This record gives sequence, C-alpha cells and structure tokens, in this order.
Amino acid sequence: MYHLLRGFYEYFTSKEEFSVIILGLDGAGKTTLLEKIKTLYNDTPGLAPDKIAPTVGQNMGKITLPSTILQFWDLGGQRGIRSIWHRYYDDCHAVVFVLDAQDRERLGEGWEVFDNVLSDPKILGVPLLLLANKQDSPHSLSVEEIRNDYEEWYRSKQDAARRRYGDEIDLEHRRDRMASLDVMGISALEGTGVRAAVDWLFIRVQNSRRRDEQGDK
Amino acid sequence: MGLSLSSLFSSLSSLIRWSKEQDVRILMLGLDSAGKTTILYRLQIGEVVSTIPTIGFNVETVQYKNIKFQVWDLGGQSSIRPYWRCYFPNTAAIIYVIDSADAARLKTSRSELLTMLSEEELAGVPLLVFCNKQDMEGALKPEQISEELGLAGGEKERQWSVRGSSALKGEGLEEGLDWLVNAIQKK
Repeated sequence: MYHLLRGFYEYFTSKEEFSVIILGLDGAGKTTLLEKIKTLYNDTPGLAPDKIAPTVGQNMGKITLPSTILQFWDLGGQRGIRSIWHRYYDDCHAVVFVLDAQDRERLGEGWEVFDNVLSDPKILGVPLLLLANKQDSPHSLSVEEIRNDYEEWYRSKQDAARRRYGDEIDLEHRRDRMASLDVMGISALEGTGVRAAVDWLFIRVQNSRRRDEQGDK
Repeated sequence: MGLSLSSLFSSLSSLIRWSKEQDVRILMLGLDSAGKTTILYRLQIGEVVSTIPTIGFNVETVQYKNIKFQVWDLGGQSSIRPYWRCYFPNTAAIIYVIDSADAARLKTSRSELLTMLSEEELAGVPLLVFCNKQDMEGALKPEQISEELGLAGGEKERQWSVRGSSALKGEGLEEGLDWLVNAIQKK
C-alpha cells in the first residue's frame, strides 16, 4: 500500500525537464534575459543588469513551472563562440533567438546568423522563438517592423541566390519553418514581455517533436 | 494537502538557508606564478602583498556578500600539481588563474585545466577562469585565451566564465566573484 501511494505521489509530483538554448549576437541581451527570467521565477534573484559583462563562457539557469522544469543555456554570442552552438542542437527542446531591435546597423548580421539557425536541419522541428529585445528604447523596431525587415532581407538574399545559381532556394521546408516561428517583443532590462515568452516556451516544449521521440522508446 | 505542505516546507527551508551565511569551499588553481596568492590577498585584505612561490597551500576565508568563501590557494609548481586532487571533494567552485602574458605556457595550463575538469568529483562544478595580468604588455585577451582553452561545447553540464583580471590593479576580481556567487546559488 505504501508503495502504491508513494508511486502515485511520485507520478503526480514528477516534473519533466526541457532544455532551452538562448542564441543571438553579442550584446543582444541574452544573459540579461536569462537573469531576468531567474529573478521572475526563482527565490534567489539573478544578476542585476549592470553586473553583466559580455559572456565568454556558458551560463545556466533553471526554473520550475507546473509539472515542468525549464533548463536554460545561455551561450556567448561572439563570432568565435557561435561555431559551437550546433553542439547543443541535438539535446534542445526549444530555441530562443534574441535580437537587439535597437541596433539597426547590425540587423543584417543578425539575420545572417538567425537564418543559419532557422535552416539548420538538426532543429527544423524544434520550436523557435524570435525575441525583439530592448523594446524599452524608443528607437527600437516593433515586432511588426522586425518581421518585415526579416522578410525583406530574405527576399534580397533569395534574389542574389537566384542570380548566382539560377534557381530557387528550397521553399517548402522554409514555409513550414516560418509557420512555426513566432516573434515577440520584450525588454529583458525591465522584464516586459518576459513572462509571455516563458509561457510560450512552457506550452511549446510540451509538444516539441523530441518529446514524441522519447515517448516511442 | 500533502502537496501544499511540502511546497510550504521547501520555501521555508530555502528562506532559512538564504538568511544564514553560507560557507562554501572554493579551490584556486593554476600554474606557478599565475598570481593566485596575489588574487587571494587582494580579495581578502584589498591590498597587494608581496608573495613568494607557494609550496603547499594558503587558506583564507573571504567574506563576500552573504557568502563566506573558504579559498584554498594551492601551489602551482609541476611537482605539487598531482596533489591538487586531494582537495577536490566538496568543492563548490573552481577559480583557475592563468598568466595572460605567458603565451609559452598556455598549452601546459590548458592541459592541467582539462585534466582537472575531467575528474568526476568536479563534475558540474562552476568554473571561473581569471586571465590575470591584463595590465602587462602583450597580455592575451580573455576571448583569445578562451579559444585556446577550447572549453566551448565540451563542458555542457558546467557553468563557466572566462574573464580578464589584474590582481595588481584590483580589476575584474569582484565582477568575477559576482558571477561566481550567482553560479553557485543556482545549484
């Protein structure tokens, strides 16, 4: 009887753990976002924004939600470190890409990197959330403008490819991918929109393709 | 009912844990003359003391925020490095110090670090790397040293941070400790 009850108790209180990786250019606000998430969801507050230096390394954070644990990995965004992101793709259940919506000069660079992430075959079926950060600044592009800017960037890239190779980029995969992509505006500094982003992750990881794979085993 | 009681209990016990000062053990390691002892005393008394090569170890308690760090500064000569492992159990974090101006021995420093990280007793323990002596001419930048160390991607289960410091000028040390405190508390 004890074992039965204990089994029930463990069944009802067990929590599934999901991994979320946070990517983006250096200075986009990845660490600030992670620390804000920790501050909002944990007893012990994360680092204050003014204590955060460019990440050369790896920060981790864990938050507990109903029946779910989200484990975040914040990887550095400098050019040299970007090459190792793919080593995390196999085990992740969701990808968050943080964009500095205020930095128009680096948008193109950001799209280049984002497009690589978006089209990587290892994470094609993984929920991908694009966060237009720094919405606290009046100079920031809105979610709508960010979407448009990306479409525009993509079209010009496609045109260039067509001129060079004379054919279309594979559009079908891309359409599926774009359909599962969401864009949200946040301010990691002030915390605006951060809870909405975590809610999005909470829901999406439950249906992440990898979960079905685990269930089949 | 059982659920709410247990969550009440856990939030109460975490309250008690954080109101009380914590005593944690930190190992400070690195090759000889990287600046470990200088960092230790800079952190403890806020001054630069003249040091001699450490044979054996220095242990000092450093109070930072609500945490009492018991910092073990182990000698870095090659003859005593094999004894580092005697201190590995119950370690909350590792501070690894590198002489950024000593490019010639960076490879040696790297292999000592990687050997240490592969120890089971240190699995998952946060790692702070101080690229020390940033005040010296020709010092390598933290990004360059990080690339040389090649930790990226290989240390998935560990939090780690590579930072510049100057024990002489007292730069970068507190920022490093801030990161470390945050990393330890998460566990």
